[in-house]
Amino acid sequence: MADSGAAAPKPSSSVKLVLLGEAAVGKSSLVMRFVNNDFQENKEPTIGAAFLTQKCNLPTRTIKFEIWDTAGQERFASLAPMYYRNAQAALVVYDITKPSSLTKAQHWVAELHRQASPGIVIALVGNKADLAAEAAAGDELGDDATEDTDAAPGAEGEEDADADNADQRRVATKTAKAYAEEEGLLFFETSAKTGKNVAEVFTAIANAIPEASLKGPRGAAGGQSSLGRQEDARVNLGSVRPEGAKEGCAC
Amino acid sequence: METLDKTKWDVVIVGTGLQQSLLALALSRSGKKILHIDENKYYGGAEAALALQEAEEWAQHVDTGSATFSNAAVTTPELSQSGSGQSLASARAYSIEFSPQLLYARSSLLQYLVSSKVYRQLEFLAVGSFWVYSKDTSDAGDASSPSTAEQSSRLGQLLKVPSGREDVFQDQVLDFKAKRALMKFLRFIAEYEEHTEEWEEHKENPFSVFLTEKFRVPAALQAPLLALTLSPSGTAETSTTYALPRVARHLRSIGVFGPGFGAVQAKWGGMSEVVQVACRSCAVGGGVYVLGKGLSNPGVSASEDSDMVTLRLKDGETISTKWVVEEGNEVSSGPSQLCRSITVVSSPLAQLLPPLAEEAPSPASAVVVFPSGSLPLRPEDAKEHGAELPPVHILVFSSDTGECPAGQSILYASTSLPGDRGFQLLSMAVDALLSSVKESPSPAALWSLRYEHGSDSSDDTVSQPPNHVLRFARPSLDLAFDDSALDRVKDVWQRIVGAGTDEFLVFEDREPVGDEDE
Repeated sequence: MADSGAAAPKPSSSVKLVLLGEAAVGKSSLVMRFVNNDFQENKEPTIGAAFLTQKCNLPTRTIKFEIWDTAGQERFASLAPMYYRNAQAALVVYDITKPSSLTKAQHWVAELHRQASPGIVIALVGNKADLAAEAAAGDELGDDATEDTDAAPGAEGEEDADADNADQRRVATKTAKAYAEEEGLLFFETSAKTGKNVAEVFTAIANAIPEASLKGPRGAAGGQSSLGRQEDARVNLGSVRPEGAKEGCAC
Repeated sequence: METLDKTKWDVVIVGTGLQQSLLALALSRSGKKILHIDENKYYGGAEAALALQEAEEWAQHVDTGSATFSNAAVTTPELSQSGSGQSLASARAYSIEFSPQLLYARSSLLQYLVSSKVYRQLEFLAVGSFWVYSKDTSDAGDASSPSTAEQSSRLGQLLKVPSGREDVFQDQVLDFKAKRALMKFLRFIAEYEEHTEEWEEHKENPFSVFLTEKFRVPAALQAPLLALTLSPSGTAETSTTYALPRVARHLRSIGVFGPGFGAVQAKWGGMSEVVQVACRSCAVGGGVYVLGKGLSNPGVSASEDSDMVTLRLKDGETISTKWVVEEGNEVSSGPSQLCRSITVVSSPLAQLLPPLAEEAPSPASAVVVFPSGSLPLRPEDAKEHGAELPPVHILVFSSDTGECPAGQSILYASTSLPGDRGFQLLSMAVDALLSSVKESPSPAALWSLRYEHGSDSSDDTVSQPPNHVLRFARPSLDLAFDDSALDRVKDVWQRIVGAGTDEFLVFEDREPVGDEDE
C-alpha cells in the first residue's frame, strides 16, 4: 500500500510513471488522491502538479514513483515522445461516463506500444466510478454488478433511455476489461473522489515492474535498454556544500 | 483540434531551444498569457535529443530547414564484416543529443534549477575523467613496463589528466621538477584574479607561452592544462585571458557536489531534459504549448493596436501578442562553427570511466581531448598551413546517461576545423580513441551522424521594430554550458515583466515535497 511512513531498510528504486488520457478525465485528481489523499471538486484544468513523488512499500522493496502529469500539454497534442520515452510505467486514464475518452485511451496505448520502452507497464484506469449506479459502485470490479450495462448491445455511447442521474456510466466494465486483457494491460475502475481503488492501482503497478529492470544499467545484460535508476550514479544538487569547493579543489 | 486563429497573448515564444524554454520557465508564474510554439514535432530546438530513427529523419531535413545545422549525413557501417555480434538495439533505446555540453558545478544554471525547484525533476550524473591523446606515448609505454599506478592513468595513447593535487603527487610519469612547476601553477590559479600582475602582460599571449615563461611548465604538462579549457581553438590561438578563468572554473568546481568531479550532466538527454521540465513548468502555470507550428516568413507585422504585434503562422492562422521572442539573429550562421560527429559504439568503453574517488558517484561520461596538432590529417598539412590544426574533443557517454543501451556508448566529437577536413579529423580522432582501448572484440562503430553546427557572431539580444520583438542570439557552441545564455534570458525576462532581478527564477515548490532523497 501507498505509505510515506518510515520504511525498513528495503531496497528502494525510483520508477518514472507517466499519466496519459483525454483532458478532464481526472488524471491529476487521481494523483492528488494517491499522493495527498485529497480531492478537489471542479478542479481547474492544467493546474496542479507537473511532477509528484510518492513511495509505495511492498513486502520486499520500496518503489518511489516519480509521477509525470501532462501539465495540459495534451491539449494541442503537444506532448512529445520524450515525455514517455524513459518511463517504466504508464497510467492511461479514461472517464467511464465518456465513451470517447476510452477511444482516446486506446490511442495512447497504441502510441505507448509504438514509442515507449518495450517493457513498460501500462495500467488502463476507468475513473469517476462514483458516477456509476450505486449498485455497481459498491461491488468488486464490475464482475456481476454491471451485467445490465454490459448486456445492452452497443451500450457505448448510446443514449440510455433509462439513464437517470444515479447512473451516468457509459462505458461498460466488460468492454474496457476485455480490451485491457487483449493488450496485456492492468485494469481498474477508480474514483479519485471517493478514493476507491486508487492506491490499489499504484500497488499493482509497483508489483508488475519486473525486478530485473530495477537494477543498474551496468548490471543488466547487454543489448536491451535498462531503465533502472542507478542510485549510486545520481548527483544530488540539493546537497551542495557552499564552502565545499575550497577543500575539494586542487589548489 | 482547437484553433489558435485570432487569439491574443501577452508573450509568444517561438522555438523550444534551451534559452526560450528557460524564459518560459522564468515567466511561468508571471500571470502572463503565454503561447509557446515550435515548428518541430519535438522539444529542444538545437538542444534536442532524439531517438535514432528521429535523428535520421532530422538529418534528412535539417539542411533545408535550419540556419543552425548543415551538411548532415548518417553512416551505418557494414556490420556483417566485423562479426563482433554487437548490433544496434531498437531505435528507441537511444537518445542522441545535438548540442551535448557539460555543466560545471558553479554554473548559474544549476543555481537557477535549484531556486526554481525544477531540479527535483531532473537526474544529474557526474562527468568523469579527462583524457589527453598524445602521439608520442605509445612507444614509451611499451618500452618501460608500466607499473599498475601508471597503467590506470594511461590507456594506449591516452593519458588521464590528474584530477587534483593528490593525483599529481601520485603520478609516476611526472618527474619532480615538473610536479613542482605544476603545483606552483595550481597555487597561482587558485587566486589568479587577485594576482593580475602575474599574467597581465601575457593576457593576449598564448596560454602555452604563459605557462612556459612564467611557470616553466614543461610542454608535456601543457596539454592537460589546455585540455581543461575545452578551447576549440588551436594552441597558438588560445590566449591566457581565455584560458585562466576556464582552468580555474574546472578546478574550483571539483568537489562542489561530491568528491572527484566538477561537472554534471542531466540523465536521458542532457539539456533536452532541462528544456522538457522548463516547458512543463510553464504549462503547469497555464502556458499553452503547440508543436509543429511555426511563424511564416515574414511573420511579424505591426498591429492596429500599437501595443500589439500581429503574427502570421505557417498554416495561415493569425494571432496577436504584446511580445514575441525568437532565437537566431542572423539569417545564416556566423563564423562560429563546429564540425560534429556522433558515433554509437559497440562497447561500454569502461576503461575510460574509472571510479573518480571514494564515495564519489560513478562517472557517466569522460572527456577525451586530442590537442591541437596531435592528429596530422596529412603529412604535408603542417607545411602547407604553418598553423596547427585545432583540437578535437570527444565526450564519451556511457549507458548510464540513458542515451544508449547497456553494453554500448556514444562518442560526441567536435572540432572547429570546418568542412570535409573537419569531418576527416573527427573520424581520425574516433579511430584513435577506439584503438587506444584494448578490448576484445575491438569496439566498432555501429552508427554515426555528422553535421556542421553554427552560431551567431554576436551574442547580443536583438530588439527589432516594433520594439516588442526580441531575438536571442543562438547559444554559443561551448562544450561547457555558457552562463551568458542565462544573462540573455534574464534580460528578456526583465524587459517583459519589469521586475527586480532577484526574483528571477526563484519559486516556491508548487507541490508538497515528501521525504526527499533517502
